[in-house]
Amino acid sequence: MPIIESEGLRIEVNEEGFLAHPEEWTEEMAKVLAKAEEGLDELTPEHWAVVRFIRGYYAEKSLAPMVRKMCQATGFPLMKIYDLFPSGPAKGACKVAGLPKPDGCV
Amino acid sequence: MSNLLRTFENEVQLAALAFMGLVYALRLVWIFRFRVGRERTVAVGREGAGTGYSLMNIAMPWAMESTRTHPGRYLEFVVLHLGIAAAIAASFIIPYGPGLFETAWVRGIFRAFIAAAGLAGLARLARRLTNPVLREISSPDDYFSLVFLIVWLAAGVLALPDRPAAGEGPLLAFFGLTAFLLVYVPFSKIGHYLYYPFSRIYLGRTLGHRGAWPPAAAKSAGAGPARKGAA
Amino acid sequence: MSRRTKSPSGVIDAPLDVAAQAKAREEGRPSVRDGRLKTYEPGANVGRFLELLGRRVSRPLAVSLTACVHCGRCAESCHYFLARPDDPTMTPVWKADQIRKIFKRHVDWTGRVAPWWAKAGTPDGDEDLNRLKNVVFGACSACRRCTFNCPMGVDTALLVRFTRGLLTELGIVPEGVFNVSRDQWETGNQMAVTETDFLETIEWMRDDLRAELGPGADIPVDRPDCDILYTINPREIKFDPRSIAHAARIFHAAGASWTLPKWGWDQTNFGLFSGDDALGAYVSRNLYEAAERLRARRIVISECGHGYRSTRWEGYTWSGYDQKLPTESIVAVLRRYLEEGRIVVDPGRNLEPVTFHDSCNIARSGDLVEEPRQVLRRVCADFREMHPNRQENFCCTGGGGLLAMAEYRPLRLEAGKVKAEQLKATEAALVCTMCHNCIDGLGDVIKHYHLPMRVVQVLELVSRALVLPAGS
Repeated sequence: MPIIESEGLRIEVNEEGFLAHPEEWTEEMAKVLAKAEEGLDELTPEHWAVVRFIRGYYAEKSLAPMVRKMCQATGFPLMKIYDLFPSGPAKGACKVAGLPKPDGCV
Repeated sequence: MSNLLRTFENEVQLAALAFMGLVYALRLVWIFRFRVGRERTVAVGREGAGTGYSLMNIAMPWAMESTRTHPGRYLEFVVLHLGIAAAIAASFIIPYGPGLFETAWVRGIFRAFIAAAGLAGLARLARRLTNPVLREISSPDDYFSLVFLIVWLAAGVLALPDRPAAGEGPLLAFFGLTAFLLVYVPFSKIGHYLYYPFSRIYLGRTLGHRGAWPPAAAKSAGAGPARKGAA
Repeated sequence: MSRRTKSPSGVIDAPLDVAAQAKAREEGRPSVRDGRLKTYEPGANVGRFLELLGRRVSRPLAVSLTACVHCGRCAESCHYFLARPDDPTMTPVWKADQIRKIFKRHVDWTGRVAPWWAKAGTPDGDEDLNRLKNVVFGACSACRRCTFNCPMGVDTALLVRFTRGLLTELGIVPEGVFNVSRDQWETGNQMAVTETDFLETIEWMRDDLRAELGPGADIPVDRPDCDILYTINPREIKFDPRSIAHAARIFHAAGASWTLPKWGWDQTNFGLFSGDDALGAYVSRNLYEAAERLRARRIVISECGHGYRSTRWEGYTWSGYDQKLPTESIVAVLRRYLEEGRIVVDPGRNLEPVTFHDSCNIARSGDLVEEPRQVLRRVCADFREMHPNRQENFCCTGGGGLLAMAEYRPLRLEAGKVKAEQLKATEAALVCTMCHNCIDGLGDVIKHYHLPMRVVQVLELVSRALVLPAGS
């Protein structure tokens, strides 16, 4: 599997750029993934709000939350999620939050 | 004309033809044993039009990108197949209508077609041997069929003066090879013409049913059973 | 399968990953327990494969297996081969030959007498079947471009789907295919969206819509006797409901009578990708029955390539259900609305140059080629064609379910070379497609090849151009 190396971290990801071992996720990794996969130089508090919610939801249900839940929890309108994560909720936000690739046509 | 040559031109050919016919008949029975699913959707286009378009593909070098972008290959295909048809025709004309070949220019045309086909075959053989992609996908039958066709076409060119008096060798060779061809064809790739109508009809029928073939402009009612005032 | 063959792409050696299958068995997942979804058992798979092959092959398949003359004309039609022109294993004919040789050896008697002569052969154990899996799932997007370029009319894409179906029966499938099939069998939709999640998302979109258009606007669910039963892709619910909102705005402006069904709303169908006709039948029947239950007058399919093909065409065959209702794409509906003047649009709201990408399943296995263009010419100020286009367009790289198979992604993106060149040459800012798979496939190509473009759908452009009647 490919390896992303940055900031002294060696992160193993799958071919789609999702973490190979979602349980090893740290906030430092999130920054590296955001830069490498989404081209985000910096994670703002708004980014973190989305990422922390996804992380918590995943820890509880082993499932990626629907975008509906992300918006409910953060109070952001739908378009805001796309502004924050250009690749969208699945390939953008969930990836930064260290989730495995969601199943299906995404 | 020796008895041997006469037998080669007649009984041997007929026996080989009968054998080929028998194997083809069995082959058709075999094909028809496979089932065909029933179409349950309402057609957008016409199956007949799609089938026709599919079958006419052979005469429309502009229809497919793969022939459109390689006109030389299309020409090669035409030359090879016309030459083979000429050689087959010759194998009937010589025993059953030799008068035709008494005219020099008719003989000349046949020889030219057959010779050109032989050259086209050689070009194909060269490509099959040198192109790594073609080599990888080729079976012994692919090589043998091509080499055999080239030899048979060459024999055709040599036999076509049709003058047994000048030596029966070329004619014996041509008819001997023709008999072998007829027997071998049903088991080789050369028999592809038997499957051609099937593969093209099934593809054309499906795509014609769906309105994808022949390629056309938008349809006004493209969704199946029409209902007035819907949506 | 030939072991001598070098496979520089490396895809052919991808291992069989059965972790998800083992987990599903352990958890006693319903689809596995009742045998609808097969899992891998080491052992007698070759025998079972041959038995299935002999039993399932149909006449169109049999002639496609017999008719190939190895002319190689298909090679250049394949985006995999164009990206790896020195690799014979990337040609459609080589890929098809991997099943053809087994057919010749075991079903077609001409290959039984002298197998070597006709290159006929038998898979040598499960490892060979796994290699076959990597060929038919990993090195082909079943785009059918080679089929359209075969002088003999050999339908290689059909052979690939057929072979996938045989392997699916043995559990010899990529993990992604297993997971998505499991979800679709168990929840009726391929992303395991629950009914509550479905209804909540619809409600959310409905609230947004009413905030914009007033209390008369609606996204009805399970309303009987409507003209349109609107069916969607689960990703619209789970990750991107903007397209539902776009459709609702347009339906509202057109005064359409429409509804979503509460069950049977997933128009996608992983049975098309896995080759499992039983799954295909189950999913499509859900939808046809929803239309019957709600007495809808036509079924409309949101923008989705394989969903359109599955629901419009193949599903009726898989499920043995005679088509009763018109079944069409939302794009055909949009075209009609524009033609009949039921909606008014202003192309001045879409000023960026837009090009259109034909989805394989719609242009080559369906019938919609001009309709999306007619719509785009009305709603965009600068519409330009991509070349080649229509039935000759190249795959987005994500066809055949490849987006769900992460292990084949590097080769998929490498094969996207010709797609990237096509996109780049248009100099468009937006590439429009009527397929959810293509959105992601094209998005990956755009990212990988650093193209200054964005992917949009027809609904988005129409919704943007939509001029709402005064007062709404």
